[in-house]
Amino acid sequence: MKSSPLKTLLLNEGGVAFDPARGETYQLSASGLTLVRMLIGGADQKSLLEFLLREYEVSESTARRDLQTFLGELEKRGWL
Amino acid sequence: MKKNIIAISGLQRMDNPQPGAGMIQSLRRACPDLTIIGLVYDAMESGIYAAGGPDQVHLMPYPTAGTGPYFERLDAIRAHTPFEILIPTLDSEIELLSHVSDLFKRRGIRVCLPDPATLRRRSKSHLPELAETCDVDVPDTRMASDLGTASRMAAELGFPLIVKGPYYEARVVRNGMELSTAANRLLSEWGAPVILQSPVCGPEFNVLGLGDGQGRIRGMCAIRKTVLSEKGKGLGGITVHDPVLNSLCTRLIRALRWPGPFEIELIFNEADHRYTLIEINPRFPAWIDFPSQLGANFPLALLRMIRGERLSPLPATKPGHFYIRHQVEAVGHISRFSALMGDNLPAELLPWGEITPPLSRKGILP
Repeated sequence: MKSSPLKTLLLNEGGVAFDPARGETYQLSASGLTLVRMLIGGADQKSLLEFLLREYEVSESTARRDLQTFLGELEKRGWL
Repeated sequence: MKKNIIAISGLQRMDNPQPGAGMIQSLRRACPDLTIIGLVYDAMESGIYAAGGPDQVHLMPYPTAGTGPYFERLDAIRAHTPFEILIPTLDSEIELLSHVSDLFKRRGIRVCLPDPATLRRRSKSHLPELAETCDVDVPDTRMASDLGTASRMAAELGFPLIVKGPYYEARVVRNGMELSTAANRLLSEWGAPVILQSPVCGPEFNVLGLGDGQGRIRGMCAIRKTVLSEKGKGLGGITVHDPVLNSLCTRLIRALRWPGPFEIELIFNEADHRYTLIEINPRFPAWIDFPSQLGANFPLALLRMIRGERLSPLPATKPGHFYIRHQVEAVGHISRFSALMGDNLPAELLPWGEITPPLSRKGILP
């Protein structure tokens, strides 16, 4: 069974995300919030990776690994 | 003006709150001219003394006394205040009264109750059959009518287990000794069967709603319980919107052609992302005034349904609204308590029977 798709999440500026199907509330980091908003806007993985490399001083391998972990978390919650 | 007098039960709102007091709050908000008669089983039911509570209160004999004493009492109350609408809110009352629609008809009392067969189909012991026809998961369940059978079935299911009575109470048991104690108590208190279930872990969801008796739902409000008491009662909840959950509840109510209020209890199994049906209650839950405050007044819709008025679908509650139960001190005076105690209920039908209540006429009252 699929949970709420990402676009139904209720987000605020502080990074609080409310899943309307599960009734659960999560706290996103600033980068997580931006990534979620980019995904809602239709961004692909390449754009997300470029964002991380542009905004944070990390190697490409670290950015790639962190992004996969983050996307895995979203998928686990049924948001992707 | 008889239409504006209703009787309602279930006013207790202590550690195991009943729906009646919340329903009165919802009705008061929408119908300030309504005269509400509270039917209680104990002069200390907290809703008697709550602000905005019932206009009149009368003691009732327990449903276990049977329909004879119950209707005698209703007749006596109606001789005094002729109400035409009765809303029983307790499982034990609904069980008793579902069998006697003719007694209500004869008196011109309007109620919204399921027939006995419909009520049975959603009972704990018949829930697995209903769930199967609706493609809904239920916990692995066994019924036992005696202790020996319960022990044998527990061996099949393995511990820990949930042991339930047919109407009330559920306990977790972790071994044979705990099972014997719990099953013995449930069998002696509520009768057979005892119901054994494998536990399901995950967040709890409750859905309240109103069925029209034709298979349609006039409105639903779904919450995830966010705060639980030690007994597992929901002290807080947040509104959710999940099309899967809505569809599941719709299938159950359609299959039952459920008339009137219901509450569906489920657990979301996070391992397989599926809901497991735990119970279907034949009444509103104690948090019924929560959706009313969000614009979905289910008690008002029920009242309109009973009156035979045209009923529009209730608005959907948006996700993200929450409630937290907030206990307050309801203030009463001993004069009101003593008036209730002398409420002309024949001594043999006093709800407390042989047991002396804390403030009885033999106690501190003259």
